[in-house]
Amino acid sequence: MTAATVGRRTADSPGGGLTGTRAMLRLALRRDRVKLPTWTLGITLFLPYFASVATATNSTPETLRASAEMLDVPMLRLFSGPMFGMENPTVLKYLVNAYFPEFLLGAALMSMLTIARHTRAEEQSGRAELVRAAVVGRQAALTAALLVAVLTNVVLALLMAAAGVGVGMAPGDALLLGAATAAMGLVFAAVTSVTVQLTEHSRAAVGIAGAVLAVVWLLRAVGAVQDSQGGWLTWLSPMGWAQLTRVADDGRWWPLALAVLLSTALTAVAYALSARRDLGAGLVASRPGRARAARGLRSPLGLAFRLQRASILWWGGSLITAGLVFGGLAGTMREGVAGEILGGEPDVVSAYLSLMGVGMSFLVGVFTVQATTRLRTEENRGRVAPLLATPTGRWAWLGSSLLATGLAAVALLMVSGLSMAAGTALALGDVARAGAAAAAVIARTPEILFLLGIAATLFGLAPRAVALGWAVLALGAMIRFWGADLPDWVRGLSPFDHIPRMPVEDFRLTPLVMLTVLAAGLLLIGLYGFRSRDLNGT
Amino acid sequence: MTAIMTRDLVKTYGPTRALDGLDLTVNTGEIHGFLGPNGAGKSTTIRILLGLVRADSGRAELLGGDPWADATVLHRRLAYVPGDVELWPNLTGGEAIDLLGRLRGGLDEARRAELIERFQLDPTKKGRTYSKGNRQKVALVAAFAADVELLILDEPTSGLDPLMEAIFQEIVAETNAAGRTILLSSHILSQVEKLADRVSIIRQGKIVQAGTLAELRHLTRTTVEALTAAPVSGLAALPGVHNAETEHGQVRFSVDAEHLDGAIKHLSAFGIRALTSHPPTLEELMLRHYGNGAAA
Repeated sequence: MTAATVGRRTADSPGGGLTGTRAMLRLALRRDRVKLPTWTLGITLFLPYFASVATATNSTPETLRASAEMLDVPMLRLFSGPMFGMENPTVLKYLVNAYFPEFLLGAALMSMLTIARHTRAEEQSGRAELVRAAVVGRQAALTAALLVAVLTNVVLALLMAAAGVGVGMAPGDALLLGAATAAMGLVFAAVTSVTVQLTEHSRAAVGIAGAVLAVVWLLRAVGAVQDSQGGWLTWLSPMGWAQLTRVADDGRWWPLALAVLLSTALTAVAYALSARRDLGAGLVASRPGRARAARGLRSPLGLAFRLQRASILWWGGSLITAGLVFGGLAGTMREGVAGEILGGEPDVVSAYLSLMGVGMSFLVGVFTVQATTRLRTEENRGRVAPLLATPTGRWAWLGSSLLATGLAAVALLMVSGLSMAAGTALALGDVARAGAAAAAVIARTPEILFLLGIAATLFGLAPRAVALGWAVLALGAMIRFWGADLPDWVRGLSPFDHIPRMPVEDFRLTPLVMLTVLAAGLLLIGLYGFRSRDLNGT
Repeated sequence: MTAIMTRDLVKTYGPTRALDGLDLTVNTGEIHGFLGPNGAGKSTTIRILLGLVRADSGRAELLGGDPWADATVLHRRLAYVPGDVELWPNLTGGEAIDLLGRLRGGLDEARRAELIERFQLDPTKKGRTYSKGNRQKVALVAAFAADVELLILDEPTSGLDPLMEAIFQEIVAETNAAGRTILLSSHILSQVEKLADRVSIIRQGKIVQAGTLAELRHLTRTTVEALTAAPVSGLAALPGVHNAETEHGQVRFSVDAEHLDGAIKHLSAFGIRALTSHPPTLEELMLRHYGNGAAA
């Protein structure tokens, strides 16, 4: 190598690790030209939507005051987080206090997926090898991914600020709202930039970041139950920091400095780890496994369970933790407000338990859709053809896979219900309540089976559209939590609006039986559809 | 007895006609080479034979049954190796072999161990950590250790090194000697030549040639390149010599197998300094016999 080339390299990029960042950044932006606008606009559009909901439901000072009091109870603070300025409520304050977390979660998810997509997913696919063989530095991909995340979050902040002004916020408040949302996004971009260094698999990296998000959410949730303006636990959570800016009350910017500091520190860790490891490698080297298959791995059902094992265990552990925490908080729900304010429901603890039951059911719904969309991935990757080239038939393969997912989902609902019951029993010392807590979750089994049926039908009849399972789940959640004012027939379209919300509503057998029968029908349609269609993939 | 028989098979994907009236016959007990350029319809044919996709029209018979309707019954009697093996990322190679074997109703344990040894496969590695060649080995071990009548191998050696390719050929010959029928799809003529009893050549979804290798001998014209001390003359007039051309003292021609001896004798009179010869590649063959649309 001549002195001239060495000289040029040093001049181009001190350290050499960043060479090619600009090209990588342009590549990433080009690839995401649809995704990023969709994410940022999608998140932003919820602001006018929620504003119209908040305006409609709080048209008079009396209803506004009632809603504000209803919101500022431990049960709802669990979801909404700390409350500011609710002693003197306005529609805008109500809007921010009630709906801020949705924007924060949206920004976190967007950032997690963006980082993983441009770092670990590229390595896993082998494309990074091709790129790195060109004149591209070791840290270029990570840097480009982080730049994309920063850019996207800045755009999101500006869009949210504009939307905030549009719904009548003061420009300063609107900008703070956007900035706090973007700060949450940045923290999770930084978290993911670390997790993608740890594991060889993009999905696992997002999973770990998701677990961090769950912890951050939970810290803030429990913190808000501790104290209306956020207990000390809230201060441990980046999600808490965003809300502690007191947007729409006496806004303050400095909690966001904590987010910037944390993001910087995490990013430094990511760079240090990235500089140390080989391309494609995680920090934990993969170990050799068994040379012979275990006894259980001898049927399509055995394979289905084996492939889902790790996922089922993770979900089980997380749901048990969540159930214990949610159940354990049941006692604190009595504080604050008289029960009748809560929409005339007689008992705030019952209302709380039924709400948590619905929430748990949605979480198990996420597992269910995830497990069924994975079947399509298996098919596209060509891992199904060799199985179907054995005496294993299509019914056996798809049936086993759906059975494994269905059994796992039912088991997950059971453990969620039982752990919530245990938490409730510990908190209240009341066995009857514990039973109600378990029933609130477990009675929701048919709606999960119905969701499985929809996913199966999509897989059998319209395999390209399996992702629509997510849409069913998302629409169900939106109708459930934010759709109280929609007409009955619209609500009736959601599979999640038929089973009685126990213990607030009485048990009724009919909707459970109906949903189960429909689920069975959908599963059969899926199986028949799969039997008569071509298999994709090579 | 025929192991595989298709008549006038048609399969379209949107505007593309992947199979355009395919007639394929594979006799029981033979190694049948299924030869064609990439995209000619080999894999589509195999996927129809395995009941993974359904033909638009035409008839297909596999081991005396209907590949779509009787799929699971027929699959007890066959094993399949795809050209691009994908393994479950968190299952080891050994687990994948056992799983496929058990789903097929058991595999020959001694044979399994022997094949792992001969292919030098490490069965304790996770599926995601294998290279392409090693993934192929996993599928090959699972297929050859199965007690079946028919093996369907779709470009099974892609990614194997020449040493492993040789071992593969040995094993195919042994398996066939044990009475099993083998359908071997490939786009490499020389590989099929070494193994196959009969060959079918597919192009644009149709069989354009089928027969024993002796019958197809006219297709296997050797190409010769030689550097000689003196300029060569009179070559084009020799029987069986085609396309003779000279460039910078280097002569190049193709010659029918039975006239190779005469051509080399003629050359040696001019003092051979360097000589290379190679069988025609499939692409050359396609180009020569079927016009320029070989890869279309």
